[in-house]
Amino acid sequence: MTFPESVRSYLESDYSTQRRPFCFQIDSDCRVLDWWGDADNYGLGGLTAGDDMVDRAPFLIGHLGADAEKLPFVTTGNGTVEVHIFPEGDRYFVIVMDASDEHRFHQQRQQTANELRLLHAAQQRLIARQRALIGDLVEAKTELEHRRKEAERANESKSEFIAMMSHEFRTPLSSIVNYADLALEDDTSVENIRKSAEAISRAARHMNRLVETVLDEARLEAGQVRLHETPFELNRLLDDIATIMAPLAAEKQLSFGIYLEDRVPEMVVADDACLRQILINLLGNAIKFTESGGVRLDVSWADDVLRVAVVDTGPGIAIEDQERIFDAFERAADTSAGGTPGTGLGLTITLGLARLMRGEIDLVSERGEGCKVTVMVPAPASAETPAEETALPEPAIEYRAMRPATILVCDDDEDLLALAEYYLLRAGYGMLIARDGREAVDKALAYSPDLVLMDINTPRLPGSDAASELRAKGFKAPIIALTASDIRKLDMKTFTNSLRKPIQMPRLLARIQDHL
Amino acid sequence: MNQFSAKVCILGDFAVGKTSTVERFVNNQFSEKYLTTIGVKIDTKDVSLSGDVTLKLVLWDVAGTDRFSGVEFAYLRGASGYILVADGTRSRTISAVRTLKEQSFDRYGELPSVFLLNKADLTREWEVSDEDQRRLSEEFANVYVTSAKTGDNVTAALGRLGEMIAERDFPKTQ
Repeated sequence: MTFPESVRSYLESDYSTQRRPFCFQIDSDCRVLDWWGDADNYGLGGLTAGDDMVDRAPFLIGHLGADAEKLPFVTTGNGTVEVHIFPEGDRYFVIVMDASDEHRFHQQRQQTANELRLLHAAQQRLIARQRALIGDLVEAKTELEHRRKEAERANESKSEFIAMMSHEFRTPLSSIVNYADLALEDDTSVENIRKSAEAISRAARHMNRLVETVLDEARLEAGQVRLHETPFELNRLLDDIATIMAPLAAEKQLSFGIYLEDRVPEMVVADDACLRQILINLLGNAIKFTESGGVRLDVSWADDVLRVAVVDTGPGIAIEDQERIFDAFERAADTSAGGTPGTGLGLTITLGLARLMRGEIDLVSERGEGCKVTVMVPAPASAETPAEETALPEPAIEYRAMRPATILVCDDDEDLLALAEYYLLRAGYGMLIARDGREAVDKALAYSPDLVLMDINTPRLPGSDAASELRAKGFKAPIIALTASDIRKLDMKTFTNSLRKPIQMPRLLARIQDHL
Repeated sequence: MNQFSAKVCILGDFAVGKTSTVERFVNNQFSEKYLTTIGVKIDTKDVSLSGDVTLKLVLWDVAGTDRFSGVEFAYLRGASGYILVADGTRSRTISAVRTLKEQSFDRYGELPSVFLLNKADLTREWEVSDEDQRRLSEEFANVYVTSAKTGDNVTAALGRLGEMIAERDFPKTQ
């Protein structure tokens, strides 16, 4: 096809206007030989023959080879160009053309596509995060539901416990009220008054045991119980246990026996109070729930571990109850239905004490086949003799004063003061009364009593502070603390000894005799 | 003073921060706006090396892709080294780097390179764990965690590349 001059010239003019070509010729050292076109448009104005083009046209680096090359869309500080390189012998012809319009078109299109891909990637990340969050939510919901059920169960157990405690308290309370009324009647015989007093005493002691049990569990749960490991005579402890338990078994016409293996050491090191409570709880439970047959305690020892097994011929514990029977306020389904009294805390306390002693409990039982509970606790043998007879029951005592002595009693409870007055005077002691800590300090310093009974929770000046003040002022006589709180919190450098409330007067008199 | 030039290509998937890295290195600037690169964008920066040597890095910022086509191979010709860039917030961009490196090696052989794991300023959105990074350090030589936005490690990484190129192509200068 042959173009007429007008068409050819139009095409050349249009192409030249649109692409504004610039051509230059360089040698193999990249030095410019000559050029043609609009150099200024590409920042290449002011060329001089022999100029090094590497600096001015860096797109040449690496592209001066044997073959012709095309570099589309090369952007430099002077815009975007299309570069063609043609080798000709030992020279190169380079054509640079404006590619701004085409570059802009491609960039807009690619920008849109890339932004869409970035959005898609962000969306995928959000979806993944959302899925993870949903997973977390489902997990949290399951956990919450589990905790809600646990809380409901705990709440039910506590409600049952309150109802049970209410019932347990009402029975002895009713005895106390009725026997007290009976004793106060004008025409009541001395015999009836004595029987009433005995009944009131029994009921009050029973209530005291209930309260102690609940407090023991609370102390264990709060981690307030500490181990006191000392050498003690195992036989004496077991004798005490037999003394307590045998009559209970006899009342129900159950056989009762304690069997020791020969190799059980005479003296072991452990917390005898904890072990005593464990045995009382387990044997008490066994006797309580066994209606025929008997209860047995097997004691063995090996490798510094004492093993006590309580075996009974009672109703047994169903497999499904065995795990939760050690939870607070829980009892086997049929034992609670049977109406056997109790707090449902005995086994919880036993387990807590065994763990405190770094021991274990094992339960073997089947419905109708009786029950065997074994406790294993570390108890190394000891050659020592016991330092003191801790936790052993008080021996029988003579209430009369061994020598004339004055006792200062500090308490704000008028009933306790009246009782103390009755017993102390009857025993032959002189008595001073203080109704608060300040008065106790003043009277102790003024009259120098032979012994002070100090309530801890007194008005004006707490008993502990009063005792400290007395010691600081040189008061040397024994001071015995009376408290309903944890006696382990007392400063035993200040107090000579302590007694837990409620106070049993025979024990109080015995304690006084110990220190006079 | 000795002065040399070396062409360095910056490779990686789209929007990983190649152009921003060059902008930070050359002009110490950063823009939050994303602008797609088409073709190639050329910048230069002098790097001072030991022995009174200056290396002019001619940086070829090649359009982002996860795989080279025929046209893009032309841009790589004559390169003395590579800067491989991935985005820590998009783990798939690491796979793109892997592919691009293999393609470059097949066509032009082994060249000095550094691997920039970019967008360290967005680590809370990262898809690359510490363990992934440890594995990358075993797979690639000279891995740098960088941020074109804050400038963290950018100069260190490109300076290291300059040294490697000088050791390889201009050994007498070292």
